[in-house]
Amino acid sequence: MSAPVLTEQAVPPVVPVATGRSWYGYLRQPSAALSVLVLVVMVVMAVFAPLIAAEPAGAGPDVLQSPSGAHWFGTDDLGQDIFAQVVWGTRTSLVIGLAASLIAIVLGTAIGLASAYFRPIDAVATVITDVMLALPTLPLMIMLAAVVNPSVWTLTLIIGFFAWPEVARLIRSQGLVVSAMPYIDGARVLGASGWRIVTREILPAVVSLVIVSVLLTASRAVISEAGLSFLGLGDPDAWSWGRILLNAQRSGVIAIAWWQTLFPSLAILLLVLAATVAGMRFNDTRDPRRNGG
Amino acid sequence: MARFVLSRALKAVLTVWIAITSTFFLLRLLPGDPTTLMVEGDMTPEMQAALLKTYGLDRPLWEQYVSYLRELLHGNLGISFRQIQPVADIIVDRLPWTLLLAGSAFVITIAVGIPIGVSAAVHRGRWLDRTLQALGIGGHALFVPSVAMLLLVFLGARLGWFPIGGAIDPDTRGAAAYLSLVHHLVLPVLSLVLVQLGPYALTLRTNMIEVLGEDYIRAAQARGLSARRRVWKHGLRNAILPALTLMGLQLGTLVGGAVLTETVFAYPGVGRLIYEAVGQQDYPVLQGAFIMLAVTVVIANALTDMFYAVLNPRIRL
Repeated sequence: MSAPVLTEQAVPPVVPVATGRSWYGYLRQPSAALSVLVLVVMVVMAVFAPLIAAEPAGAGPDVLQSPSGAHWFGTDDLGQDIFAQVVWGTRTSLVIGLAASLIAIVLGTAIGLASAYFRPIDAVATVITDVMLALPTLPLMIMLAAVVNPSVWTLTLIIGFFAWPEVARLIRSQGLVVSAMPYIDGARVLGASGWRIVTREILPAVVSLVIVSVLLTASRAVISEAGLSFLGLGDPDAWSWGRILLNAQRSGVIAIAWWQTLFPSLAILLLVLAATVAGMRFNDTRDPRRNGG
Repeated sequence: MARFVLSRALKAVLTVWIAITSTFFLLRLLPGDPTTLMVEGDMTPEMQAALLKTYGLDRPLWEQYVSYLRELLHGNLGISFRQIQPVADIIVDRLPWTLLLAGSAFVITIAVGIPIGVSAAVHRGRWLDRTLQALGIGGHALFVPSVAMLLLVFLGARLGWFPIGGAIDPDTRGAAAYLSLVHHLVLPVLSLVLVQLGPYALTLRTNMIEVLGEDYIRAAQARGLSARRRVWKHGLRNAILPALTLMGLQLGTLVGGAVLTETVFAYPGVGRLIYEAVGQQDYPVLQGAFIMLAVTVVIANALTDMFYAVLNPRIRL
């Protein structure tokens, strides 16, 4: 019998990865089902934006209309439809939120796992993580976004690059628990390489935490994108919820056109809340203490 | 204790140094590096070279870095591109307003968050507790400009209860000036407190529930101490320590929130300065503002940790 086979057999499933049954249990919680529904609706809105509303461009005749049958969310001072702006803004928010979150997850998981298993890396990684967590991230992102040409991709890179420390910290703390378990020692005794132990033994044990992190990090990324766009650092060619708020702020008619502020704000709230609740419920579902092992 | 303070101060200095160094090199390595941005398009090559020489930008990168650090230590953050004025002077004018805004929000969040968090922990499952759980999660989803702009529209512009911008009415004197100051501060502070309060109080509740299950609380009960004394004296003291650290860690977020709030209310702090500098592409101001805010946050964080050490007998000894 070769060593790797033995290793596999020696591994008890530390944290069960979501199976069909637990997915059912997950979605049976009303708050989880509702959050997933909101997320699905948002994704559909983003993908089919051109079918739902024409891309807002140029000036229209209906200036500063309050919400009505013709303009569900009203119009702005240029006569553009706010509903169309919000629908198109969903694209930017979701793309940047997900892509930045993926960057942060890949970096954070790699750094978190490496520092959980390799002591010398841990010392350096912890210092860097602490420094980045201690700094005011928004002014830092503003400074970089102001220097580069603002586009959806540069924003994604900037946001993703500053979102990994939280992920790294989370994955590291869970990874430390796992790497202290006897079966890791077992794998080492059987001659498994460090790379193999990290990728084949520790990673599977933290994978559900990674899924939770994707949702929570994406929701933070959405907020960051909205903040940068609100400060005028967004992609000038893409609609975004932060940009609608910036327009409302700049138009000088903010007191009359409350709808220009309210509807993009609700969109941000709904998306971030849904992602957060979906992530937290998922975290509860996989927690063995909550469902009796 | 002295050792703790010293090591904490060293850590703060190290953090600031790493922040300054990495942003210096990052800004120089990015495709749109500030030196090329400063050079106007219609300049002749000779004028460009002269300009680069004036700013010392023709020297090797590491030499620039060393002189940049030396200047920083002397409080020189460079010259603003747009207003021909030292960046440090511009920021020092604005910083007190940001400190006032963020500081007030910090203190109010703690002062209001503690009683809410403790009551929710003591009366678990009751209405306050359930409301707090919803607000604690919802707080993470609140976008600061949204809250600030809605407050501005409804409480400021429509109802006219509070001023919609600025920090003080310049025509007031004496006591009226202080009143005006507070009056202008209400909505910006409220925006920050509304966003921070829920998550903060929820964390305090979680800590408190853990502490109330400890043996020494049961021992206090056995000794016949009243519930009030157990909770507020023994429990809170231990629950507040992690909550204080948490608040320290939130300082960076708080400063980010202040940048956005100041933009909404045209509040004359560093945040509003950043917004203006973005519009004018004034990079030295952006870099200087980041450094000053980073230094402020790191110092405040270190002070929070030292305060923690004073409160915590395990470190104090």
